[in-house]
Amino acid sequence: MAPTKQAPTRQAITLKGSTNLVTEFFKYAVNTILFQRGVYPEDDFHMVKKYGQTVLVTQDLALENYLDKILKQVNKWLLTGGVTQLVLAIISKDTRTPLERWVFDINLVEQPAGSSEVPPPKPESEIQAEIRYILKQIVSTVTFLPIMDEPTVFNILAYTSESADIPADEWVDTDPLAIEASKSQQVKLRSFSTDVHRIEAMVAYRYDG
Amino acid sequence: MAFTPKTPSRQRSRSETKTPLTPSMMNGISSMSLASPTKRQTNQRGAIADTISANPFISSRPSSPVKRTTSGALQITEALSKQANSGVIRKGGIESRLDVITHDYVPPPRTDPKRSKSTGTLQRDTRDRFITSRNADVGEVAATLELMHLSHSSSSPSHTARLASATGVPINKRILSYHEPPPPPSDTTLAAQRDAVRPLYARTGSLPTSTGATTNKSRKISTQPERVLDAPGMVDDFYLNLLSWSCLNVVAVALAENTYIWKADTGAVTHVGEAPEGSYVSSVSFSSDGMFLGVGCGTGEVELWDVETGQRLRSMSGHQGQIAALSWNNHILSSGCGDGSIWHHDVRVARHKVMELLGHTGEVCGLTWREDGELLASGGNDNVVNIWDGRIAESVTGSHVSAKWTKRNHTAAVKALAWCPWQPSLLASGGGTNDATINIWNSTTGARLHSLATSSQVTNIHWSPHRKEFLSTHGYPNNSIMIHAYPSMERVAEIRDAHDTRVLFCARSPGGDLVVTGAGDENLKFWRVWEVPKEKKGKGREKASSSTGILGIR
Repeated sequence: MAPTKQAPTRQAITLKGSTNLVTEFFKYAVNTILFQRGVYPEDDFHMVKKYGQTVLVTQDLALENYLDKILKQVNKWLLTGGVTQLVLAIISKDTRTPLERWVFDINLVEQPAGSSEVPPPKPESEIQAEIRYILKQIVSTVTFLPIMDEPTVFNILAYTSESADIPADEWVDTDPLAIEASKSQQVKLRSFSTDVHRIEAMVAYRYDG
Repeated sequence: MAFTPKTPSRQRSRSETKTPLTPSMMNGISSMSLASPTKRQTNQRGAIADTISANPFISSRPSSPVKRTTSGALQITEALSKQANSGVIRKGGIESRLDVITHDYVPPPRTDPKRSKSTGTLQRDTRDRFITSRNADVGEVAATLELMHLSHSSSSPSHTARLASATGVPINKRILSYHEPPPPPSDTTLAAQRDAVRPLYARTGSLPTSTGATTNKSRKISTQPERVLDAPGMVDDFYLNLLSWSCLNVVAVALAENTYIWKADTGAVTHVGEAPEGSYVSSVSFSSDGMFLGVGCGTGEVELWDVETGQRLRSMSGHQGQIAALSWNNHILSSGCGDGSIWHHDVRVARHKVMELLGHTGEVCGLTWREDGELLASGGNDNVVNIWDGRIAESVTGSHVSAKWTKRNHTAAVKALAWCPWQPSLLASGGGTNDATINIWNSTTGARLHSLATSSQVTNIHWSPHRKEFLSTHGYPNNSIMIHAYPSMERVAEIRDAHDTRVLFCARSPGGDLVVTGAGDENLKFWRVWEVPKEKKGKGREKASSSTGILGIR
């Protein structure tokens, strides 16, 4: 299951395409979460047609740039297989307690060891449909996630391998912002996969029921 | 050694996953459903916690199993432990056998004290050979997993690796975050401001486009004004009533301190008079015969002018505030004052004030008599609609009269009031910016028959005399004129941006086919919104023929 290092050399072109696809997915997923969970005011978002549906994307320049910077680095890590998980943590602004963790596992798709023939490439439309399902699911999580009535901030954590190339002055080691297990509920979301990557989503939220 | 499943369902799921530490565990996680995340989770965590405590590779802990089954016991060879220490497990190698060991191994009794939470008997669990012990403590596992990111050196590498592979949670990884905190949300005061104006653009009925008009397919209503007149100096004040259209087809308009009349049939403009020095005209109203013009002033005087001669007949003083609303009932001129009082002036007698109605705590800005003079409706800045009995008591001056109906459903100032000409019990009222709602009342029963939320402040309402429709004029942001059907309350037509600023004043022609609107953009615009029905014309009734004659406009 652990990502293997030989993967990047397998299909260079597909890898790059897949990486961009995955990065793009993160962009829209993060935006959707920030909008749905009210981390930023609704007015900061505008509608964009994407994946055959409307997605709300921030038009706050500062936030846009911030996400761009992060995603650029994530893109690099994806190319080298350096990142295994991305977490979007939503934290209470005042108490700094983590309220929600949106976890995206990034796995490299391994070819079946026995079969020598390359499986037919997955059609883009199918990938898009899978992404669309995830985004829709994120939207629908609002129905069961606890209401956060306090102001919140977010943080994006990247779980990288020890060997990954890390721009030292830009990325720093950090706390996992874990939710105490006794107060945490987890819900597995859908996943999507390209020919190279497989993204599995999960949300954990604080629930003191 | 006594652990018991909490619920039968748990047992079931356990039997499904016979080898919980192999990748099938992933399936277990994947199968977590929205419906019952807690239970399943408990399962997972329990299993993981076992693994953590039951680590066969820590050499300092010589295996001292309480119970060890004979099958599948694996010798810890040197090679194996080496492999384990390096944190690499070959696939399909010892993995499966390792699992067997793990499960058979029973953790030493010193394990986590929290576990004692749920204990039970082992007997009920015998069906499951693979998991002999299970930690039901929900709390520990996820936290443990997270902690391992920080201090993974404390656990053995093989165990970590296995865990990682089993749960998909990356161990041995660095957790990084971007060095800057995310930008704060945009200015909160800005958000508050947006909130304040939200009623203006996020109301029901406001369309995403701002172009022109929407008209029903069955009706074609001209979206262009029939005529535009210049009205320099028109005061942009919601509370005033500066337009009146008499039955003699004369339009009176007050421009600051001057009052003008415009004869619709000839197009001639006459300057009627000026407000007293230092004052301004705050309301105009024609008497029902069209011969006299009541003028309310900013300083509280109510003046009476002869339209024909342009002479001031009398000035009735006594009010302390601005007279924003006037309405005639034969010889009674009612005035609504800034202090909330409504006076009935008998214009024939010297002591003109014959009655005082006290029912508003805010400025009276809407006042209209029913045509038969039985009821008077008033609306105020205190968001109240009052309906008064129209009879003048003989010696009531000084005694307190209360309104027949008091309606407090509006949430903003009520300026727009109109009695229905073809169903006398109907009164339409419209609220200001925060309300933007048109309510239709039955003045007999006091019931609210309809309520219609519009997209912006309602400044005027007029019923059509010929159709089951009424017209409303509106303020920001659309500055529109709307025509609604009654009783369906459907919007028949909307003329967007009828004026450049909010449409404040509106008067209906005596023929009932035209309305004139005035606004702060200093224009008077005439709109042909209704047709005078043709059959009336055919019958040759006097009024119908006059509508093309003296009731037409040039």
